[in-house]
Amino acid sequence: MTEMTAKRSPMAAISGVMRNAGIAVALVLLILVFSLTTTTFLTPLNLTNIMVQITLNIILAAGMTFVILIGGIDLSVGSVMALAGVVGATFVSNPELPTWLAILGMIVASCGVGAIAGTINGLISAWWAIPSFIVTLGMLNMARGGALQFTQANTVYIANPAITKFGTATVAGIPVLFLVAVAIIILGWFVLNKTVFGRMLYAIGNNEEAVRLAGHNTLFYKTAAFAICGLGAGIAAIMYMARLTSASPIMGNGYELNAIAAVIIGGTSLAGGRGSMIGTLLGAAVIGVLGNGLILIGASDFVRQIITGAVIILAVILDAVQGRLAAKRKGA
Amino acid sequence: MHNKLTVAIAAAMCSTALMAVPSLADQARPQVCLVMKSLANEFFKDMSIGAEEYAKSRGDFDLKMVGMQSETDFDAQVNAVDTCIAEKKDIIVLAPADSRAMVGPVKRAVDAGVTVVNFDVALDEEAKKAAGLDLAFVGPDNAAGAKEAGDALAKALGNGGKVVILEGNPGADNGIQRKAGFEQSIKDNGLELLDSRTAHWETEEANTVFTTMLTAHPDLQGVMAANDSMALGVVKAIDAAGMSGKIQVVGFDNIPAVSALVKEGKVLATVDQFGRDLASNAIDLGIKSFKDGKPLEGWVKTPIELVTKDNVK
Repeated sequence: MTEMTAKRSPMAAISGVMRNAGIAVALVLLILVFSLTTTTFLTPLNLTNIMVQITLNIILAAGMTFVILIGGIDLSVGSVMALAGVVGATFVSNPELPTWLAILGMIVASCGVGAIAGTINGLISAWWAIPSFIVTLGMLNMARGGALQFTQANTVYIANPAITKFGTATVAGIPVLFLVAVAIIILGWFVLNKTVFGRMLYAIGNNEEAVRLAGHNTLFYKTAAFAICGLGAGIAAIMYMARLTSASPIMGNGYELNAIAAVIIGGTSLAGGRGSMIGTLLGAAVIGVLGNGLILIGASDFVRQIITGAVIILAVILDAVQGRLAAKRKGA
Repeated sequence: MHNKLTVAIAAAMCSTALMAVPSLADQARPQVCLVMKSLANEFFKDMSIGAEEYAKSRGDFDLKMVGMQSETDFDAQVNAVDTCIAEKKDIIVLAPADSRAMVGPVKRAVDAGVTVVNFDVALDEEAKKAAGLDLAFVGPDNAAGAKEAGDALAKALGNGGKVVILEGNPGADNGIQRKAGFEQSIKDNGLELLDSRTAHWETEEANTVFTTMLTAHPDLQGVMAANDSMALGVVKAIDAAGMSGKIQVVGFDNIPAVSALVKEGKVLATVDQFGRDLASNAIDLGIKSFKDGKPLEGWVKTPIELVTKDNVK
């Protein structure tokens, strides 16, 4: 997979920026269309609603970006989110625990479950060099089955007032849930661009063999990328519980595909080695704005599904054209 | 109608209790195969627990239960039915995953001399006719239940109340029937339907879809959700919008997580179709029909009950 992509160079970095510009243009276009066709889209309330609605996908997609950058894929994030959620919910829904312990227990349990599941995904696929597609497909089933077994298929209702407060809090009118998601994007951007660890992930995505021959422990880096992705699923589970004060073993069904779509729309290459966290944020925003705007203009469910699929393809075409143009300009 | 059903079911249960004693005698025990949909669904999980308890308490038949991984995995269900035929079971009690696709396997079972009870979701009438299959249905009237919930909402809102519907999975039979029941209630009570969309039975999607519906229709007054998981998401959206008490919600299924909300008045009503008893009722009818050699006929309706603040447990 990895040999298909060119090595990263300053030129590639510039084309990366151009790619983000392409998706940003698409986002602005969408916003423009919905602002002109509805009176309700461009209102503060609707915009903050969209922010809350895309929180989960941003966080899952941020983790997914790490995995896709090394040329992997994680199909298990939706299920891992459910398992992390129902395990965390046993703490936060327990009225006998003091609030601080209930919250702390939830955070440790949800993040722990997510990170452990991610670590298992990474270790198995890296150690035995098994495609992560199949390993995480197995994990998808294990985590979903685990969540169902754990709850005996029951939805857990969370009556803890502290988490409700967190779920509805705003700072300067911006939902805290969204701010957390943006903070995660910024942190992810920093790790990927400003740390040796992050650069190493790009290098592995471009040419894993070269990295290994240079004496680096690729097993560690690859496992860490999956662990981060799993951790993201754990954090997303906490956001889910904060927003919906419930945890269900069937939550997050199919969310892995939305997360992958956000990452790819955001210009990250499925082959690995190329992409950015900011692109992922924009990709999640495109999906969220589209879902919201199509309801506001009154498109039927089925038409909505068709258009969403078409826009994913269009965004990727736009991205490819943009990338080719940028390469040509520099080649000339 | 309710009361009659309740009495009928009570009578059925009494007769079962009486039957338990003599039939402990070591005669040929009917072999029952219970084929359900996804055990990942609270409703079926509950049903399977109910069936297991029923088999234990009654003790005069052997029960084998089969569930599937997901609601739409009817391929696995076809295999399950074929396996039951091959194992020469006496009775197959089936909750079809697909009302048309399951007609073929059921026909095979009936032709092989197996007593088949179709419960929960009715097999499609036309498909049955095409296959030359005459089979009764045992189950709740989803449309009637949804209509009752809708009527409760209409009573709270009054004539001309503005409502939206959150539908189940497109194509799911119970979802289609519940939507039909809601629509009938809207028509009968002179409500105004602003929008109707699917949230695929799921809490988070219901929250997102409903929040956006509320943006598009800030004047909406009531929500009819085709299941309680979606009602949960709707209630959170209403809380977040600061509209608590101004928008009324009805759901379906009476899951434990919603009971608290019914008590608080955040969910006006939900519908209980006694999932726990549903499979045992069907098994009971199946064994009777098998022993008497008399096939079941028509639609044997099982009880449903509107759950409101007044009778919630």
